[in-house]
Amino acid sequence: MAGRSINYLQRIRLTAMAMCAAVVLIMAALWFPHVDRDIKVVDTLFVIDITDSMLVKDARIGRETVTRLDWSQEFVRQAMLQMPCGSKVALAAFTDSRSLILVNPIEVCANYHDLIQVLYKIEPPMAWAKASEVSKALFTAINQAKDMDPEPSIVFITDGHESPPLHETLYPKFGGTPGEVSGVLIGVGGTDVQPIPKSNEDGEIIGYWDVNEVLHVDVYAAFRGDLADAMANVQRTEHLSSQKHDHMERLGIMVGFDYLDMPTANQLMRTLRAHDSARTQRVDYDPYPIFAGLALLLLLLLYLPYGLLLSLRKRKT
Amino acid sequence: MSDIVWELPALLWALPLALLPFVYVDVRKSVVWLKLTPVDPLSRILTPLLKLAASLLIALLVMALAGPHIPEQLSQRSGEGAEIIILVDRSRSMDDIFAAAPRNTLSRVPIGTQSKRQVSRDYLIEFIQRRPDDRFGYVFFSNHSTELLSLTYHKDAVMATVDAGALGRGISQTNIVEALLKAADMFEHEIYRGARRVLLISDGGQLLTEQEESFIRQRYQALQLGIIWIYLPAMRGMTLEPSDQDNFLWVDMPERKLHEFFKTLSIPYQAFEAGSLSDFADAIDAIDQQHYETLMVDEVQPRKSLADRFLLFALMLAGLLAAIQAYSWWGAYLPRGHDVDVRKLSGICYCEYLVFDS
Repeated sequence: MAGRSINYLQRIRLTAMAMCAAVVLIMAALWFPHVDRDIKVVDTLFVIDITDSMLVKDARIGRETVTRLDWSQEFVRQAMLQMPCGSKVALAAFTDSRSLILVNPIEVCANYHDLIQVLYKIEPPMAWAKASEVSKALFTAINQAKDMDPEPSIVFITDGHESPPLHETLYPKFGGTPGEVSGVLIGVGGTDVQPIPKSNEDGEIIGYWDVNEVLHVDVYAAFRGDLADAMANVQRTEHLSSQKHDHMERLGIMVGFDYLDMPTANQLMRTLRAHDSARTQRVDYDPYPIFAGLALLLLLLLYLPYGLLLSLRKRKT
Repeated sequence: MSDIVWELPALLWALPLALLPFVYVDVRKSVVWLKLTPVDPLSRILTPLLKLAASLLIALLVMALAGPHIPEQLSQRSGEGAEIIILVDRSRSMDDIFAAAPRNTLSRVPIGTQSKRQVSRDYLIEFIQRRPDDRFGYVFFSNHSTELLSLTYHKDAVMATVDAGALGRGISQTNIVEALLKAADMFEHEIYRGARRVLLISDGGQLLTEQEESFIRQRYQALQLGIIWIYLPAMRGMTLEPSDQDNFLWVDMPERKLHEFFKTLSIPYQAFEAGSLSDFADAIDAIDQQHYETLMVDEVQPRKSLADRFLLFALMLAGLLAAIQAYSWWGAYLPRGHDVDVRKLSGICYCEYLVFDS
């Protein structure tokens, strides 16, 4: 059956009514007041490791093999692009035993250009000392995040390589409450050990760290009398670097952070949004697309070539 | 209008829907004998015009939904201000208490508790807020210097960077020479827009070698830079200019040497000794009148939505079409017993069907 076609007069009436409704809808699209809409935003402090081990080329962007640092910068950029306007972003660099906050939280859309510019300056030449005490740096980042307004979640990007290495039991302990500041540890780097490039003050690579240039035992052991004993039991591999999964997992548990191994920006945003720290931000929303869309739908229904459709269906049967 | 940007350009693929009104419309109206219908030349003209209007209406709505807008734009206006590179001392000495009482005095005035780093932040924020038209860059230095922000108009970004500078502890020693040269480098590739200043905020000076002095002199003169120095004394009463009440230990302080050197540069130079913030505010206002030149200021015109224009045009067309349809309706539903005007019945709106029915 081809459906009941409406008669001629009904059609006139329907057309007229639909047209009047379209007029009303377009007027609504134009003059309906803006509404407040709540969206979930996450304020984030990105901390990027700028120690030399981050110059190891074992991360991938697409098909290209890049340094861990390049990957980190691209990752932060992608994450910023995914954040809805109104979210705030802060940036920090980590080397030595602390995180240095470079920019306090600012709105990501209006300041995107400046944030990107600072992001690409987070490179080894900025480093003020050549050491890589990941745990301590993580703790300082957490402490400083508490001083910020709004208090951000932390995204700490590192390969987890501690230099000098940690003592089995005398490693730095976290003084705060785990999970008080929420955050994510992002692990970067592959599982195979690689030589670590050595950079000079201008950021040029001037060779690789030699086996005899780095500490292979923790500082505590290094200054004890029985150093020789300690050395005897140690594999001398601290001049090589890979992503330290176990260490980062342990750190994550210590401070109550999730640990993700080279995730996509999408995965990061999902993890962050799942935290309680996501804050709702009220945005001004113009609902015109709803009304204009309805008006358009109405018009299309009016002008669809029903006759053509009918005759096509008839031909089939 | 040439630089319209669409938020959802993919929606524009729906534009061919605007052809629908031109597609053959069959409404199955039987007329006994076509010759009975009067010929209405006006309808012959109006029908295609109305189809065109309906078509345009659909197109306009599709385009309005695609989110037409003019993106953020930079425009220039002339302002009164300067381009300023903020040069912040991030060394460890900045962690010390600001303006502590000299050791040999009894502390009648309570000793401050703010570190020099925190004080420097207050001064910088005050400075930035008082200079609406200035463009700022940011360099922090310790034993070597890092350019963090290139010159930007975004006050939020500058303030957030200055705020971050107040957090945490200092990082290392001081190397003012490298910092001064770094700041000069940042102007190197900029077009000259107006007054250029390097705003140095630090707690100490440094003895310069003759070679360093001549290098700085040459660079700063060539690039037409001026220096503003906000000096944060570690001890109360310490001044850059010698005075009669000087502690004799202060006579040969490196900061005094640096101050003397800056004075000989024959470039605009202004030194402030941080004391009270309100005095400083007055002093900033004072330099306004003296030094600053006209400067080209980039202003960001915020993004402007054009959807309303499309909708307004659509509203006019829809209003027209609705009026005509309503007129047809009125014509078709005249009360019974009334003389039906055939011309009105076959009027502009239904003529299209009659023509196609043949």
